[in-house]
Formats: sequence, C-alpha cells, structure tokens
Amino acid sequence: MSLPKFDLLQPKTLQEACDVLKDNRNGSIRILAGGTDILVDIRRKIIPEHLPRCKGCEPGSLTAQTAPPPPKLLVALSRIPELKGIRIVDDEIRIGAMTVIAELCQSEIVKTHLTALYEGAVSLGSPLVRNRGAIGGNICNARPAADTLIPAVALNATLKLQSAQGARDIPVSEFVTGPGKTKIQSDEILTEIIFKIPNNRSASAFYKLANRKALEISIVNIAVILTLDNEGAVTEGRIAMGAVGPTPIIALEAMKSLIGKKPSDDLLSKAARIAASEAKPISDHRGAMIYRREMVEVLVHRMLNETVNRIDLIKGC
Amino acid sequence: MKKIIKLKVNGIEYELAVEPNRTLVDFIRKDLGLTGTKKGCSIGDCGACTVLMDGTPVFSCLVLAMEADGCGIRTIEGVADGNKLHPVQEAFVSEGAIQCGFCTPGMVMTSIALLKDNPHPSESEIRRAISGNLCRCTGYQKIVEAVKKAEEELRVKS
Ligand SMILES: Cc1cc2nc3c(=O)[nH]c(=O)nc-3n(C[C@H](O)[C@H](O)[C@H](O)COP(=O)(O)OP(=O)(O)OC[C@H]3O[C@@H](n4cnc5c(N)ncnc54)[C@H](O)[C@@H]3O)c2cc1C
Ligand code: FES
Ligand code: FES
Repeated sequence: MSLPKFDLLQPKTLQEACDVLKDNRNGSIRILAGGTDILVDIRRKIIPEHLPRCKGCEPGSLTAQTAPPPPKLLVALSRIPELKGIRIVDDEIRIGAMTVIAELCQSEIVKTHLTALYEGAVSLGSPLVRNRGAIGGNICNARPAADTLIPAVALNATLKLQSAQGARDIPVSEFVTGPGKTKIQSDEILTEIIFKIPNNRSASAFYKLANRKALEISIVNIAVILTLDNEGAVTEGRIAMGAVGPTPIIALEAMKSLIGKKPSDDLLSKAARIAASEAKPISDHRGAMIYRREMVEVLVHRMLNETVNRIDLIKGC
Repeated sequence: MKKIIKLKVNGIEYELAVEPNRTLVDFIRKDLGLTGTKKGCSIGDCGACTVLMDGTPVFSCLVLAMEADGCGIRTIEGVADGNKLHPVQEAFVSEGAIQCGFCTPGMVMTSIALLKDNPHPSESEIRRAISGNLCRCTGYQKIVEAVKKAEEELRVKS
C-alpha cells in the first residue's frame, strides 16, 4: 500500500504558495498540511468497500468512496512560518491554519476564551494525530463530525482565504457545503481562523460522543456558546451540531427559544428538544438515526447546562 | 522528481535522494535499513511506526520523507546506550510489557517522549499518552506498569 506518485513543493512563503496555486484550474494541485487526512485519502484502496454494514442503513450510504484521482502536485505548507501560531490582536484571537491540534491543547488563550475549541482539540484522534494534524486541515477537510470545525462554527469563526488575487473572509458557518466540500477555490489557501474574543459573561462547551476515548470519529458532537446579561438572561449564543447532517448544523430555532430568557432547566430541556428536531441525522455503522437524534437532545441539554454553570463560575470569582 | 534531503537519524547525518511519495517510515526502513521501526497500518491508526521528530512523537507513515528534511529523527535503534538498554526498554522487559513485540518500538518511543515532557505522569496521563499506540497482546496493563517503573528508575537516577 504505497502512496501514488505525485510531485511535492515546499514553499517558504505564502506568496510563493499562492503563485504555485495560480494555475490550479483543474484541481490537480492539492495542499498538504499535516497530511493526516490527505495522505490517507489519496492512497489506493485495496478493498474498495471495506466498511461494515448494518440494518436500516440507507442504500449506498456506507460504500467507501473510491479515491479521487491522485494529485499531480502537493504543495506543503509546513515551511511557511506565518501560517503557524495563536495570537491575540485587539479583540480577536487569530489562529494560523497550520497550527497543530496539539498546540491548541496547550494554549491558555484557547482554553480560557475558546473553551469549546479546546475541548474539541483535546478529543481529536490520538496524540500522534494531534502532533501532526492542523486546525486548517481539519476545517478544510470538512467532515461533518470534525472536532475543531464544530466548535469553530459555534464560536462563529471567520476564515481568511488567500490567493494570488487577494484575500477574502468567509464565516465558517457558510464555508462547508457538503461532506468534504467547501466554498474554497482551487487557487485559495486558508491562512487564518479568526475568533472574536467572547465577552466575559460568555462561556462555551463541547462534547464528543464516541465509543472509545481515543482514535474515534464522533457519533454526535455538540458545541455551545451562551452569553448572559447582568440579570442572567440569555442575550446571544449558538448551538452547533456535528455528525447529524451533511454539514455542521446550527440549531437556530433552539437558540431563538432561549433569547431574552433566564436559563431554567425546563427552558434548556425544551431548547434541547427543538435542537433535536433541527438535526438531520442518518443511520450508519456508528449509530442509528433515531439514536443520534436522542443523543442530540441529551447532549445539547447537557452542554447548555454546562455553559450556564461555567458563566456562573466566572461571575463567582 | 527525486530530491536530496539531509537529516539526522539517531545522531548520524544522512544525505539521500528520495521520491516525493516516499514516506518517512519507508525511508527509515528501506533506505536506511533501520527495521526496528514497524509498519502496521500505514494510515495513522496503530502507532507502530512512531519515531521522534525533533523530539515530538509522530507516526512516520503519514509523514513524507521530504517533510523531515532538516529534522532530527530518533528511532528505536538510537535509544540504547551501546549494549545498555534505555531504562524504558529495561522496564518493558522486566515488567513483561512485551509479547509479540510489534507495538514495542512505537510504545517505547512514545513513552520516552512522555517521560521527557512530564517526568512524573499519573496513570491516566500515561494511558492518554499511549492512546495512539495500539497493542493487540498485552492488554496495556503491563505497558502502563513498565512506564511507571521506568519513571521510578529515572527519578532515582536524577
Ligand atoms: C488515526 C486518525 C484519527 C483521526 N481522528 C480524528 C478525530 O477524532 N476527529 C477529527 O475531527 N479528525 C480526525 N482525524 C482526521 C484528521 O486528523 C484531522 O482532520 C486533521 O486536523 C487534518 O489536518 P491535517 O493538517 O492533517 O490536514 P491534511 O490532511 O494535510 O489536509 C486535509 C485537507 O484540507 C486541505 N487543506 C489543509 N490545509 C489547508 C489550507 N490551509 N488551505 C486550504 N486547504 C487546506 C488539504 O488539501 C486536504 O484536502 C483523524 C485522522 C487519523 C489518521
Ligand atoms: S503504521 Fe503508522 S500508524 Fe500504523
Ligand atoms: S506486544 Fe504484541 S502488539 Fe503489543
């Protein structure tokens, strides 16, 4: 099982990388970040259909995708220093796309201000995956269960995309259009993931439901952020749900039901029920549709409670 | 197109031409003949191919050799001091943490990196650190005990 043939470029500046991608009209040039997704995906599969099947699965939903034609050229971003690191600039936290997941796990900035992202990073893969995989790779790979993508959606991150033509910003909530599909153009590079620092009456939380503690893809994952006013009523927030639809799903109606109200347990459990009705899960070998929907309700409720408790804790000190 | 890469493996400088699709594990095993590093799955799941890249444990099956250009690599062959085993290796032997041995090189590399980073890990920290290294034989208990034993040894030494 060796890798298909391709060429590799290792530019040292963003400009150089953009210049290489300029001619990438047919998509035969691909970006290499940590390689933990792409170097698996471009491999020739010996057995094309190797995933288990279970009763009640939608026909065709479980067939392993045949690998797309291998790229002619990979452009590695690992040697571009400006794409790495976590910085606070004014009221924003800016995370370079090539920042590895392990760095998010060690960052006090991320842990304090972007707790849901921290919790997503800590639960991603295994230490070996976290040491190589980058946040930009996780987001651009656009799996509906991706463990930093879902928190980024809840935390309303903005993505900075750069090409030789210039830069543009896009909200991460609009970025993903389907499993593995995004609005990025073939000549663009994701350079930064930008978060507004949540105000000090906000808190966020993330939960990954999986069969094991490591090396697992989420059955369902949920990220929540809430902001309360001085009276303790909800002023804003977001509920992002992963692995229950082709893209990350934002539970808009559930959130609406909370705005302006004080978060009683009854209110939160009603919101969780609404969130479950907004999810669009399918059945696959990781979990049945009905189980996933139940779990959305349980976990959204749990995460709403958790965020409220965290805000209380901040207020307490 | 082949390109020449220059890197240090276990302290020895190598300069070799490699293909872009050469993975670090194949470079180590086939080009350098260092077959201590194992290849189990080739897709990041098993950790048998773990080596230290500038001190950090990585799965060498998902790293391209060209990406390791300029780096310092440590493999299981660079762990013992001549004929004297590393305390982590000693502990794996004395605690019976090795059965078939296929996971052992990776486990040892991961454990060495853990103890360097965190000289006194708790049991749950040990279990979390080795959670990317699969062992199909031991049930992990003996491996965890070996890491604890090595920790004690290293503490006495320092
Ligand atoms: C054993 C194993 C376990 C895993 N477990 C999990 C898990 O629990 N949760 C989870 O979410 N993921 C998991 N993954 C998937 C993967 O590790 C993550 O998605 C990781 O963050 C991908 O990052 P990368 O840097 O390796 O991306 P790469 O594989 O290098 O790239 C991924 C894709 O994004 C594109 N890309 C990367 N960076 C950019 C950029 N800056 N601009 C434009 N396009 C870009 C690439 O072209 C490619 O298509 C696992 C993978 C493995 C091998
Ligand atoms: S061979 Fe590299 S992780 Fe299995
Ligand atoms: S000893 Fe056999 S796999 Fe670990």
